[in-house]
Amino acid sequence: MTYAEVPGFASVGASRGETTVVVETARLLDAARYLRDEQGFNFLSDIAATDYLGWNERPVAGYWGHAEGRDINLPGSWGLARKPEPRAKRFSVSYQLLAVVSGSREAPRVCLQVWCDDGEPVPSVVSVWPTADWHEREAFDLMGIVFEGHPNLKRILMDDDWEGHPLRKDYPMGGEPVRFSGEE
Amino acid sequence: MANVGRKKRLADYGLQTERTLMRRKGPGVFEQELGDLESRLGLTTVGKAVAWAQGHSIWPDTFGLACCAMEMIAIVGSRYDVARFGAEVFRSSPRQADLMIVSGRVSHKMAAPLRQIYDQMLEPKWVIAMGACASSGGMFANYAVLQGVDKIVAVDVHVPGCPPRPEALLEGIVRLQEKILAGVPPAYEIREVAE
Amino acid sequence: MTLAPSKQAPIYSGTRIPSPIPTVLQVDPALREEGDILEVNFGPNHPSTHGVLRLIVELNGERVEGVEAVIGYLHTGFEKNMEQKTWWKAITYPERIDYLSFQINELAFVLAIEKLLGVEPPPKATWMRTLLCELSRIHSHLIWLGTGALELGAISLLWYCFRERDAVLDLFELVTGVRMHTRYFQAGGLAEDIPPGFYTECRKFADMFPTRVDEYEALLDRQAIWLERTKGIGLLSAEDAIALGQSGPVLRASGIDWDLRKVEPYLAYDQVDFDVPVYFNGDVYDRYKVRMDEMRQSARIVQQCLDGMPEGPWIVDDRKIVLPPRHELHTSMESLIHHFKLVTEGYRVPAGEVYVAVESARGELGCYVVSDGGSKPWRVKFRAPSFVALEATATTVQGALVADLIAILGSLDTVMGDCDR
Repeated sequence: MTYAEVPGFASVGASRGETTVVVETARLLDAARYLRDEQGFNFLSDIAATDYLGWNERPVAGYWGHAEGRDINLPGSWGLARKPEPRAKRFSVSYQLLAVVSGSREAPRVCLQVWCDDGEPVPSVVSVWPTADWHEREAFDLMGIVFEGHPNLKRILMDDDWEGHPLRKDYPMGGEPVRFSGEE
Repeated sequence: MANVGRKKRLADYGLQTERTLMRRKGPGVFEQELGDLESRLGLTTVGKAVAWAQGHSIWPDTFGLACCAMEMIAIVGSRYDVARFGAEVFRSSPRQADLMIVSGRVSHKMAAPLRQIYDQMLEPKWVIAMGACASSGGMFANYAVLQGVDKIVAVDVHVPGCPPRPEALLEGIVRLQEKILAGVPPAYEIREVAE
Repeated sequence: MTLAPSKQAPIYSGTRIPSPIPTVLQVDPALREEGDILEVNFGPNHPSTHGVLRLIVELNGERVEGVEAVIGYLHTGFEKNMEQKTWWKAITYPERIDYLSFQINELAFVLAIEKLLGVEPPPKATWMRTLLCELSRIHSHLIWLGTGALELGAISLLWYCFRERDAVLDLFELVTGVRMHTRYFQAGGLAEDIPPGFYTECRKFADMFPTRVDEYEALLDRQAIWLERTKGIGLLSAEDAIALGQSGPVLRASGIDWDLRKVEPYLAYDQVDFDVPVYFNGDVYDRYKVRMDEMRQSARIVQQCLDGMPEGPWIVDDRKIVLPPRHELHTSMESLIHHFKLVTEGYRVPAGEVYVAVESARGELGCYVVSDGGSKPWRVKFRAPSFVALEATATTVQGALVADLIAILGSLDTVMGDCDR
């Protein structure tokens, strides 16, 4: 299927056997309902939020990998550096969907993706897939993405009075420097 | 137990740290030091009897947090039988437990309940920090994990490993027994710990 | 192909998922006013909550009227830690997430790296990985049974299960040198060759194990107390299970025939013959039966892996991602350079994002990896089956007594390391 009929369709990409459909953030609920009811993706596996701050700043050297796999006959970097493609917005939220049919021997999967900036709310899909409840709370807790319409959006993994969102790229690693006993 | 003036350090009792002990390797080095200790501390016969009873019936509290907890349950199993050492009764209530084996990584969220359980334990009480995560934060040097449980409780024995083999944990329990038998006070009387 | 008896009527009609919040069971306001509601804290330190789970339970007498799960007491920040390590070093971390079926976690991450890299490990590595994953599944189910039965009062099973568990760990130690957290899988294959003597020991175990499972079933299956405490408790219908994202034994006990090893075969699962147990009552007893049958099927897979284990290299020959063999370092300059670069900088994985799902002992364990083309992961997210299983607590404990709450939690088989990551 082409996925062009998904409401709010922005783009579709396929790589390594996986399909990623990007939709506009405002039409996410319609797209979710369409995929669940018309296309049969009744199972939400995972909601993964990713922070792309600093994505295009640091050049990465290495062999040229591409979507079809690696060709070991292509030369390595030898000092040439390449930057990944820049991203338009800071956060992406990927919904991994699966169509579960008892007894079937096929597992159609699709990744529904929306992009948002810091502070931009994303509609909550709890009304479509109830399992999204805790996944969205985790994305809020660790990444700071606000889900509009979520019935219980509060911290889940960190302390209730924790400040900051730990998995963001500008949040420090934490911990303490290791002192070796031979040094003192 | 009488608490003399300032908090005494382990070295005052004649015990060296583990690192120094290992330099003079050989069987029974630890025991030799402890033997010396008994005469220096001047334990009475009643004291020795009490210490013998305490040491041979340390009842741990069920404080299994993560992977190390699996090896801790393994020592209850029939292969690494901890009942030989008197510690087979894992009490669920801290009020009935003598020993807290902190097995697993301690997150900051868990630190408060951990301290609360430690406070609920009745004295004398001992703590074994099992594994790398409990001793020092282990491989997780990040925002979420407390870098060593000795920041909030006074630890008697650290058992290294990720996770330590059940035999290693048993060695830790045996060393704790030897400490108790020698009359070394529990760690909270020796070390400074945040309240 | 299922092992269950013929289909039965739906478990309950409609949906029992609480609303508005699907994961919190709230007390009926009328009951709160006239009844005598007692709020009890099943704190993080509890012998029966399988780790540090906190449940805030509201009781009316012995009946559970409200429940809310508070997690996060074991949050370790795996995902952030993995972003700081090279791909090779980051493989050590996923094991400690679900510390009962540790090699399956490693597998998910390593399969994601291999998918991004586009390498195919040699057949010997694939078959050995299958074998070790099935042994991990047996290990996980044994601990589940031992601790689950302990909580319901069948204390002697703890010792029997841990006796078998030590046998499994002996096998791991024979292959990898470590009992738990073996870190044996590499991107491209296995870390080292399989040592001699393993096959005979493993075969001895696989031959002996089904009789042990029969022993456990003989102890429990017709025991009146066990049946009373597990039958009809913790009901979860098929539609609710799918809506709540359940997978693994919980889903299969509710009547859905869904196993990622059959549906999306990975490793060598399409080349071995095994059955997927499916039961239709959706209660604690059926989840127990599913796991017992799975243990037998895993032993069957282990035997087939031993029979079909091919010879050959144990890791792919690509020097850009795999360390060259040590004897070459003395003679070949390129090997030395590759070794140096791999150890200091690590190999680079092409840019892209993948989601790999494997069937762990608890359900669908997914690994979502984003790579920017560099030597460190940009983002790693694990879809933890225990995280999702706890979402079903509110639905399954409706109408339960306090004692049943423990049985239900045990049947959901949650591991808090997996839940909190």
